[in-house]
Amino acid sequence: MIDLSSQREVLAAILEELGERLEDLAVITADVGKSTRAYRFGKKFPERYFNVGVSEQHMISFAAGLSMAGARPIVVGFSVFLMRAWEQIRNSLDIMDLNVKIVGTHSGFSDFADGSTHQSLEDISLMRSLPNMKVVIPADSIDIQRSLPQIVESIRGPLYYRIGRDESQVITSGYTYKFSLGKGYVLKDGYDVAIAGAGPILSEAIKASDELKKEGISVAVINLLSIKPIDEELLEKYARKTGRIVALEEHSIYGGVGGAIAEVLARKYPVKIKFVGTSTYGRSAKGTKELWDHFGLNSASVVAGCRDLLKSSK
Amino acid sequence: MGVKGGGWRSFSLDEIGSISEKAEKTLKEMNKYDEHIHLESSLSSLKAISTIILGYWRNSDNPINRDWFILSKGHAAPALYAVLAEVGLLDKEELFNINKVGSPIQNHPDLSTPFVGMTSGSLAQGLSFSLGISTWIKIKNGKGRVFTLMGDGEQDEGQVWEAITHAPVMKLDNLTVIVDLNRRQLDGSVHEIKPKDYMPLVWKAVGWNVIFCDGYNVRSIAQALESALASNLPSVVFAETSHIDGGR
Repeated sequence: MIDLSSQREVLAAILEELGERLEDLAVITADVGKSTRAYRFGKKFPERYFNVGVSEQHMISFAAGLSMAGARPIVVGFSVFLMRAWEQIRNSLDIMDLNVKIVGTHSGFSDFADGSTHQSLEDISLMRSLPNMKVVIPADSIDIQRSLPQIVESIRGPLYYRIGRDESQVITSGYTYKFSLGKGYVLKDGYDVAIAGAGPILSEAIKASDELKKEGISVAVINLLSIKPIDEELLEKYARKTGRIVALEEHSIYGGVGGAIAEVLARKYPVKIKFVGTSTYGRSAKGTKELWDHFGLNSASVVAGCRDLLKSSK
Repeated sequence: MGVKGGGWRSFSLDEIGSISEKAEKTLKEMNKYDEHIHLESSLSSLKAISTIILGYWRNSDNPINRDWFILSKGHAAPALYAVLAEVGLLDKEELFNINKVGSPIQNHPDLSTPFVGMTSGSLAQGLSFSLGISTWIKIKNGKGRVFTLMGDGEQDEGQVWEAITHAPVMKLDNLTVIVDLNRRQLDGSVHEIKPKDYMPLVWKAVGWNVIFCDGYNVRSIAQALESALASNLPSVVFAETSHIDGGR
């Protein structure tokens, strides 16, 4: 039985399954095969598994070359160290619109013990600035199961897929929506405020919504899932409906999910937005939740953000 | 005299030599139209480019059975254009439009140009890219070969280390890298900025077949390529081109 709280375990199971069906699938990693669980693909398909050593820059250009020769490469690495190869992602890959998928694991605060150098809080903004790059951030393991196979099988071109590590709460198991690139999903409907975000941190949005419901405040929760392209229609609809948006992300508030939301609403239907995310580096802790609390990425901050917005009229 | 490696058309080494000389004149002419082209670096790479393209490169519709030419030192692209124009694959008049905003002739190689296997320009990335191509060819038992041209200044990039240590592990005997030893880098003399005399020893130490040749002599380049193609190791050819007043 697969442990649904571990995003990397779910990733490995999907890669193994896809490897059976897709003979051109190749998995590339940079000495984090064990930590990312990518090695399990390698055990099954040793010929199509490449551990290039601790060489992130080479890994990206190498994967781009594999793709040019006909492979369907998936690069798997810690999201923080993929940023080291951003210029390779730009110049070896995105510029030629090559069909390489990049899975960034251990994102946000999910690598809690390793501290600031290992916690990736800027990757979304870096990736979404690239012209051909698409960005998808699943909320939980169920989201990974509903999106990753389709992405690998039928979405062409470069795509950044941001996942966590372990201790991920399952929050979308009760939903039947199917993944579609560029679509967001309403996890909770509401009309006073809308919380829009992506990734495991959405569990805090649901908590906040439940809490405010007790006071008679109706709070929508939107799982954006696809950050680039982003669901402009859905964002506009909820901006019109609630007039107040809280943007939530396990990432810097500069240029990330909140930035993407603001870019859309500034054009479509400007409303006040409260940004809940990070603005500094992380640190070591005993658990991810402890870091969320320490840096104010939790239901309490979201509730405070909602209250703040409710003070002003629409 | 033909070449054993077998190209897409059969040019003799003498023909390649005379085409190179014509291309050199074209290059100097191009420089009059746009002084932003990297003239010296294009001149020093010219004969390596023409020997590979005219003497060795083989085509196929199947990406694993065709040969690939990766200009990792992308700034030598004008030399490639000049050679292609001499054999009728590019319009010579178009070359003089280089860097005009509407022209397909870019200062660095673009996939839309014949023989260009990678949009390049950012140093060392072409080497890793070449490894990716030759790896997939090998795994799929393809017949394709990969030729990659680098600069000596380019050897400063950390990614070169990441890549050269990987190729022998993958046993890439279908990969040939040519390093243009023109002893110059952007800011001046290689010797003054960061000496690279030890680089052949480094490549050798990590498992490459290391070959030297005269980069201004088509016969010497062809001989080096023959020996590279015959080797069961990945090969690197250090092509000496610093003697500006000599062979050229």
